Amino acid sequence: MSVTASSSARQSVGNMAEADLLTALKQRSPQAFSALFDTWSDKLFRLATGILEDDAEAEGVVQETFLKFFEKLEQFEPRAKVSTWLYRVAYNASIDKIRKRRPAQMWLGNDDGDGAEFFPGNLADWRYAPEAWLSSLEAQRELTRAISALPEKQRLVFRLRELDGFSTAETAEILGISVGSVKVRLHRARLLLRETLADYFSERMKREQLL
Amino acid sequence: MKCEDLVAYLSEYIDNDLNEALTAEAQLHLATCHNCRVVLDTTQKMILIYRRQQRQAIPAARRQRLFTQLQSAFLNKSEPTP
Repeated sequence: MSVTASSSARQSVGNMAEADLLTALKQRSPQAFSALFDTWSDKLFRLATGILEDDAEAEGVVQETFLKFFEKLEQFEPRAKVSTWLYRVAYNASIDKIRKRRPAQMWLGNDDGDGAEFFPGNLADWRYAPEAWLSSLEAQRELTRAISALPEKQRLVFRLRELDGFSTAETAEILGISVGSVKVRLHRARLLLRETLADYFSERMKREQLL
Repeated sequence: MKCEDLVAYLSEYIDNDLNEALTAEAQLHLATCHNCRVVLDTTQKMILIYRRQQRQAIPAARRQRLFTQLQSAFLNKSEPTP
């Protein structure tokens, strides 16, 4: 019943398996380049803009990541995970830029604090809310706002796990943190975001007199 | 298993990351605890809503420029492997 089973990002590139793609790339196939670019450029761009909040800098990160990849291409083993490698390089490049921008600020360490665990407070039952509500722009905006308000370390883990389809271990590898930290951050992010939507939907149910 | 435990294990339960014994305990609790069931189901709904969001792409002009630059770097990098 898992909702996090998506792993399309790392298993195939269009219709091409990663191993076949690597072989084609090593032969400098223009089609393979297009497949590589189409599959990962937007994803890497989103990862970078999520950290840098600047399109021009994010574009620079994508460019730098692919250029590094081309340099390393010959050294890639046939079974190497291209997706994890690309994300890790893009992540590190983004963090480097952030550090240059705000050198005094610590960013995304391994420390997850030992604060009290968050416990769900709003138990409104919006499981059967109308589909139109779930897909409404208003609900999307609420969620986007809540995601922006998450601590950066949680936001990135949430994105990599839930949107990009990386496993816990892959996310840990990309971010250079422990598997335990990934789990803690994901758990907190999920509970906080659930709470935000629970607040939103319970208000809406009251408004529409469904509660 | 109590509600506190279920909440603590919630994320791992969603990811099918709990061992068999804990999974069974969680399922037993969920079968009888309405509130925990709501928390589980609404967490999963939240994730689904998130995944439906419009995904941001590189603006077209940037994308085209980047593609051209990288394609040229890629094709000129070295001779094809024999």
